[in-house]
Amino acid sequence: MAKLWKYRYLYLLILPGILYFVIFRYIPMYGVVIAFQDFSINKGIWGSKWVGLEQFRRLFLGLSFPAVFRNTVIISLCKLVMGFPAPIILALLLNEVKSRKFKKITQTIVYLPHFISWVILAGLISMFLHPDTGLINEIVKFFNDGKGIDFLVSKEYFRSILVITDIYKGIGWGSIVYIAAISSIDSTIYEAAMVDGAGRLAQIWHITLPALKSTIVVMFILNMGGILNAGFEQILLLYNPRVYDVADIIDTYVYRNGIMSSNYSMSTAAGLFKSVISMALIIFTNKMAHLLEEDGLW
Amino acid sequence: MRRKYDVVDYVIILILTLLSLIMIYPFWHEMMYSLSDPVKAASGGMFAVPKGLNLKSYWSVLRNKSVWTGFRVSVIVTLVGTVMGVLVSAMLAYPLSKKDMPGRKFFIGMIFFTMLFGGGMIPNYLLVKELHLIDSYGALILPGLLSAWNIFILKNSFAGIPASLEESARIDGANDLTIFFRIVMPLSKAVLATIALFTAVGYWNDYFSTILYIISKDHWSLQAVLREILSNAQSAMSSSGISVRAEEAISSETVKAATVMVATVPILMVYPFVQKYFIKGVLIGSVKG
Repeated sequence: MAKLWKYRYLYLLILPGILYFVIFRYIPMYGVVIAFQDFSINKGIWGSKWVGLEQFRRLFLGLSFPAVFRNTVIISLCKLVMGFPAPIILALLLNEVKSRKFKKITQTIVYLPHFISWVILAGLISMFLHPDTGLINEIVKFFNDGKGIDFLVSKEYFRSILVITDIYKGIGWGSIVYIAAISSIDSTIYEAAMVDGAGRLAQIWHITLPALKSTIVVMFILNMGGILNAGFEQILLLYNPRVYDVADIIDTYVYRNGIMSSNYSMSTAAGLFKSVISMALIIFTNKMAHLLEEDGLW
Repeated sequence: MRRKYDVVDYVIILILTLLSLIMIYPFWHEMMYSLSDPVKAASGGMFAVPKGLNLKSYWSVLRNKSVWTGFRVSVIVTLVGTVMGVLVSAMLAYPLSKKDMPGRKFFIGMIFFTMLFGGGMIPNYLLVKELHLIDSYGALILPGLLSAWNIFILKNSFAGIPASLEESARIDGANDLTIFFRIVMPLSKAVLATIALFTAVGYWNDYFSTILYIISKDHWSLQAVLREILSNAQSAMSSSGISVRAEEAISSETVKAATVMVATVPILMVYPFVQKYFIKGVLIGSVKG
């Protein structure tokens, strides 16, 4: 007791924050039990009927959710395959630039889109892709006998647009952590390598990339944990009923069914399914990192 | 530096220059488009300079009342949310950086777990509803107030403060509260500024909280208002009491461009000054512990 009294001020300091986590993080965690109920807003969480796994059965036997799940994984994997190496390559390129000033200006420009909201970017994207007046379509028309493409309602192109614009927004910001890791490499290693006649590529392959390995592993674990986050706001702001088939993801599905159609229990089941898989993935990748003798996330 | 410039150097510079141009051109394009005469702008193409200088589009954006209310809501939410968020995060992070505090492991684990698992959209929505926060500033501020990530960045940074500084204050009779507010906080300005920046950007760009929790238009954030204008310039204008004549229909594209600029320029203006902080912040964040 005396020990606790000694730390009374510290406990006082953490009190509001801990209360916050209990109310705004742990109570919603308990709230997922409505996935096992037939929840109605009038009866509340205590009065609603328990239905076991019925909501999950409806979810997986229904027509839309399996397709939604597939979309989520496909979009996410495309973003991962294309978008994960992009910041690493950018960081390596920036590292090769000898002029400090050029490097600085380039960094300032490529970080910028990170700070622009998806609302604004979606506005920009739809203006540039506008079938009649958009700049991209003027180029398309030039090569395509004057015919433009309405990209945002095209099932063929919609996912590519998601991937490209996601890279546009994230490549610069994503590169910072790698640039930081590169800058902590001892420059005498490079000098020694050059004395030994190592060329540019050899230096990247034998010095820079090995030094980036643990950063890459940590970023990869984080990306794996987010694999079912295919980009909710981006898609919500860009999609439309004509591309639901290829663009509807778990989050947009939960939003439309849960919030807009008040189908609370079933959409909570969809959300819970997503959370559990994400958690399993992040734990699994972290384990893998340990097996590969990397630090991992914890 | 290392060697003289060779072909590869020039290729790299060329690639990066092209990338920068692609990144920056959309914003330049919109700026020039928004300053153009609506009829001439409709001819399209690249915009190096405005086509027939015309500020009418800005006038119609700024005349739109909901832009102003949205602006006010977003400023209030960003200021209150950032100050509260940073303060409560720091208060939580500091004791957790003290290795000898009983229960420290438990609290850290409790916060860490929220990085792995969360209730998701619907339980969060129902909670905000139960707390009677729907349609209030609280709904825009509270659900995103603290993040485990920021708390761990702060905790690591506080742990790096030399213990001797606190010890000497303790000998002078200072208690933990005094040490935290008088010594630790002032010493941590850089990391606090970084967390403040991340938090502020999050609040300023937040669109979904409004869609989820706000019904009355008086409490719409700027992003939600912008979305309405961007997704349909004409109907937004007419619903806010501005009549749309036929010849004004063509101007909706320049109005959209002006809207994008009105929302982007504040960020462009602050951005160069805060750049050094966020680079530092990511650096601190990348040091694990």
